[in-house]
Amino acid sequence: MNSTPTFISTGQRSIEDLFAHGISKPTAGHRAVNFRLNAPYVQMYDIVKRFPGVLACDHVDFDVRRGEVHALLGENGAGKSTLMKVLYGLYQPEGGRILRDGAEVTIHSPTDAIHQGIGMIHQHFMLVDTLTVTENVALGLKSSRGLLLDLDRVEDGIRELSEAYGLQIDPRAPVWTLSVGERQRVEIMKALYRGAALLILDEPTAVLTPQEVEELFVTLSYMKENGYSLVFISHKLQEVLAVSDRITVMREGRRVGTVSTKEMTRNELVRMMVGRDIILEQTRDEVEVGDVRLRLQNVSARGVTGQQALRDVSLSVKSGEILGVAGISGNGQRELAEVVAGLRPHSGGSVEMDEVTINDWTTARRTESGLAYIPEERMHDGIVRDFAVSENLVLQEHTREPFSHGIFLAFEYIARYSRKLIQDFYIKTPDIRTMTRNLSGGNIQRLIVARELSRQPKVLVAAQPTRGIDIGAIEYIYSQILEQRDRGAAILLISEDLDELLALCDRIAVIFEGTIMDVLDRNETTAEELGLLMAGVDPANQEGAQAGVPAGAQA
Amino acid sequence: MLRRISLLTLVLLFLLAACGRSDRDADANTEGTNEEPFRVAIVLPSSTTDIAWSQSMFDSLKDVQASMGGEEALRIAFSEGMFRVTDASAAIRDYASEGFDLVIAHGAQYGNSVFEVASDFPETSFAWGTSSDTGAERGITNVFAYGAAANEGGYVNGVVASMLTQSEIVGVIGPVAGDAKLYIDGFIRGVTGVKPDAQVNVTYTGSFSDTSLAAEAAHVHIQAGADVLTGSAQQVVGAIGVASENGIPWLGTQSDQISLGPEVVVTNQVYDWANVIDDMIAKISADEFGGTAYTLTFENGGLRLEFNEAIDIPDDVKDAARAAIEDIKSGAVEQFSDE
Amino acid sequence: MTDELFTISTLIGILHSCVRLATPYLFASLGETFGQRSGVLNLGVDGIMLMGAFFAFYVVFEGHNLWVGVLAAIVVGMLMGLLKAFVSVTMQALQGISGIGLYLFGLGLSSLLFKTLIGSVEGVSGFRQVGIPFVSDLPGIGHIFFNHNALVYLAYIMVPVSWFVINRTTLGLKIRAVGHNPEAADTLGVSVNGVRYATMMIGGALAGVAGASLSIGLQNVFQENMTNGLGFIAVALVYFGSWRTVGVLAGSLLFSLVNALQLWVQALGIPVPSEVAVMMPYVMTIVVLAFTARQIQKPAALARSYERGE
Repeated sequence: MNSTPTFISTGQRSIEDLFAHGISKPTAGHRAVNFRLNAPYVQMYDIVKRFPGVLACDHVDFDVRRGEVHALLGENGAGKSTLMKVLYGLYQPEGGRILRDGAEVTIHSPTDAIHQGIGMIHQHFMLVDTLTVTENVALGLKSSRGLLLDLDRVEDGIRELSEAYGLQIDPRAPVWTLSVGERQRVEIMKALYRGAALLILDEPTAVLTPQEVEELFVTLSYMKENGYSLVFISHKLQEVLAVSDRITVMREGRRVGTVSTKEMTRNELVRMMVGRDIILEQTRDEVEVGDVRLRLQNVSARGVTGQQALRDVSLSVKSGEILGVAGISGNGQRELAEVVAGLRPHSGGSVEMDEVTINDWTTARRTESGLAYIPEERMHDGIVRDFAVSENLVLQEHTREPFSHGIFLAFEYIARYSRKLIQDFYIKTPDIRTMTRNLSGGNIQRLIVARELSRQPKVLVAAQPTRGIDIGAIEYIYSQILEQRDRGAAILLISEDLDELLALCDRIAVIFEGTIMDVLDRNETTAEELGLLMAGVDPANQEGAQAGVPAGAQA
Repeated sequence: MLRRISLLTLVLLFLLAACGRSDRDADANTEGTNEEPFRVAIVLPSSTTDIAWSQSMFDSLKDVQASMGGEEALRIAFSEGMFRVTDASAAIRDYASEGFDLVIAHGAQYGNSVFEVASDFPETSFAWGTSSDTGAERGITNVFAYGAAANEGGYVNGVVASMLTQSEIVGVIGPVAGDAKLYIDGFIRGVTGVKPDAQVNVTYTGSFSDTSLAAEAAHVHIQAGADVLTGSAQQVVGAIGVASENGIPWLGTQSDQISLGPEVVVTNQVYDWANVIDDMIAKISADEFGGTAYTLTFENGGLRLEFNEAIDIPDDVKDAARAAIEDIKSGAVEQFSDE
Repeated sequence: MTDELFTISTLIGILHSCVRLATPYLFASLGETFGQRSGVLNLGVDGIMLMGAFFAFYVVFEGHNLWVGVLAAIVVGMLMGLLKAFVSVTMQALQGISGIGLYLFGLGLSSLLFKTLIGSVEGVSGFRQVGIPFVSDLPGIGHIFFNHNALVYLAYIMVPVSWFVINRTTLGLKIRAVGHNPEAADTLGVSVNGVRYATMMIGGALAGVAGASLSIGLQNVFQENMTNGLGFIAVALVYFGSWRTVGVLAGSLLFSLVNALQLWVQALGIPVPSEVAVMMPYVMTIVVLAFTARQIQKPAALARSYERGE
């Protein structure tokens, strides 16, 4: 009975074997292997979904076959998540039909979807922290003991499935002790245990380290071989190209097209996504690196909840240089940016700008002295939501000439200045008096970038500047950051996107649990090396540290 | 929108039920009679059926009403359960502005409210108790004060308790320390006057209305050896229940408590406010709006001791009780001479 | 005098009092635990108790069997719970305020019914102390634990029963999930509102019995507002017990122990001012709350109504 956990070989076990061990039999589709692999499993025709003021899905067709990974690609707001939420019963469409194995089905709720063998892994995990893995899986399931729980049986089933698909989880661990990657596995487990034959993964890699991404892809390939249908929602081209068999591209609520992955190149996909060519690989001119502009020496600081967020951080950025800070969210990046910007006190060490200690300078004084800051929480820290666009554009400088005379604002000048920035930075807004909160995420970010960069800063701190914005805006922000570098600014770029860091930075520091693991030259490192460091593993003595990968690093 | 409306309806329903506790319309429909009835409003800290302080006054009012000729002659409006002084204060002012002839604030805690409203409505008469302060020192002339010499009945019940106890341990269940002091001091004096060695155990629950704790206090007294119990305020209902269950004699005060423990309530000191009310009505009719302080005593008939006729009380106990009452009336019990 | 407190018979007396006093708190706070674990704060417990107390009393007063009285309290409690669920779950009214509304409703309605149906305070013959054969003769312990009325025993039986329901049944798992992450439960097809209706009705039933334990168990009378805020203490005991049944049991016993102790201290004439004595249980509650507040068990969705959608 006691089987050795060699999951690679058991990955080929037939699904019938699993059912023999007491896993609840799915209502549909699990005998996928017996079908022709190319047969469409689920088809969606002519789906229409409206939200107030927006047509989120505009007569969209979509289908997924057995044993394939079908990627759904598009920018934020393209309608891909909406389409899948319709399939999962979270949204009711205004029009369209859904077919499973050629027969029309109605899906009014997630329960219906689960009955149809459809599971969804949400971007934000739907787990109950205080419960164990097994309890999370058992939640909402019919118990084999009627009103009493049958957790022991569910636990056995979880062990079987985790062997079969390489989903390593401890069924008895409370969810709050698990890492992000492990939580995702619990989510997949929940769907598998419910007999899902079709699994929708909504941006599953956004929260993972490169190593965890790889493990996920291995799991997905096992599942694919066993006849599962997988929908992979993403806006990351590389991942989509690596993992999918077919790709459907969506833009502004419409389906642009469905293509076979083998026949596509990256640039072709970008063109489908954006509707024009985008050059993310920025050309970098070699620039003369100057003096140290920003220096942190042994800086420590506490985070929002009082935990030690930064420990003994020492970094320096020179004029004409971009220093990247890589790390998984929550490892001290936010505190680092805030300490430099003067928004968070630090308990030890010093912060210097142009060799002058600025430890006790206010934010305003730092700004005046040439520091610019693009905050991570742009809606909260970057703008005043209920201010007009023009007001947000002069937020820091409105007390100075020529924006004001004495205590009076120079409205005319501010208006002229705002129009210029709006034009220069391609901010899409109906008017300079429009409330800022009505702008899209990408345009708000352009606004902040415009405000910060128009001051020609000596030091720029940019925290997650491209998170959650469309690829067109990303391209523009990249070019602006590089322009500042070429001009001679010292730039601290904090990002979770390794591709972004590798494309833009001169050097990359990796932060883990508030400590700088290492600072590497862009030309001498790889995404793999950075990924290991991000997980707290020093590749130099990997064997010793392997077991020490802290499970709760992100918790 | 629909949700809001239904929510509003529910809230109104709640309020309606919550307000069912005051009877403010008793004086409606006054036309049709030749003579204007006398109108009394009363604000009570607890329920009119608390078998204690509030009920004693309410029952007396009903008695007066019956003797005067019913609703035609005397109209009564009341607000009960006014344990929050701010609520009571508002009610007092409402009644005054509605033109009642007499507004009774039946609680010592209402004093400030009464004087404040009384100075604004000099044509309306007010009464409050327990107190002997009519506000004369502040130049207020339209306030009566009243109180009961609870120590007198306490003394008599104490004498009865000393005759009934065999263990020589007697339990007293008081509400809040200061308030029931008069009754309890009299009671202790009554017990120890007859049996100097008898032990009187006194517990306070810290509340007038904590029936649970009062009931438990009765259990505690019984376990601690008490074989006669007494207590005051509306909280004692639970304690009387426990006394009944254990067959322990109970001595009542304030209102008639025999119905609650027909087999165990032996005697009952009853407050009878009828004479006080009669006198106030007479004075008001003669345009004298206040200034008198009343005290219920055995002497003026405001206090009565009732024996439970349903149980067989030994004659010597009855005789001793009657003798004690006579002693008080005659002033032979010196403690009460200054009252 | 202080010596008397430490005699065996006094200690037995104190513990006996404590076990009995805890009865209504146990029923009410176990009921409240169900609600809060599912994310609904019900401050209307006291109102439900009053309704339960009244109906149990009325049924018995009218000459029916005591258990019919308990059944009446359960039914009325469930209806009150249903009302609370409708207001705070379906209508999504603020839970704290709607709870106070329910309390006032119960307080007012029970008084009104009492006035119209009974009129004056009367006594009934309620549940009697029943010694459990054999064990009640055990020295000390027999008297402390096995010499009570049926509702007292029932209250203690409800502790493991509640624990079992919360931790070992599918309903319990749903309750815990809904109280902590209703969105997650919803995506798995658990009816968040359904679970909350269920816990409100379970809690209502238990609060109803808590009321009955007063009116036909411990005091055998009904008086307006006879709970005297006991239901609010029961809500505090749930926090005190960190939302666990064992914690609620410990809290109820501790609170009752200090109450029993202060009564005995007074009855024995130990020179402690009565003002200090009556404060003891409350002071202790605050102190314990301040030092033991473990938030980890706190249902994250407590007092938050749930609506699907983004």
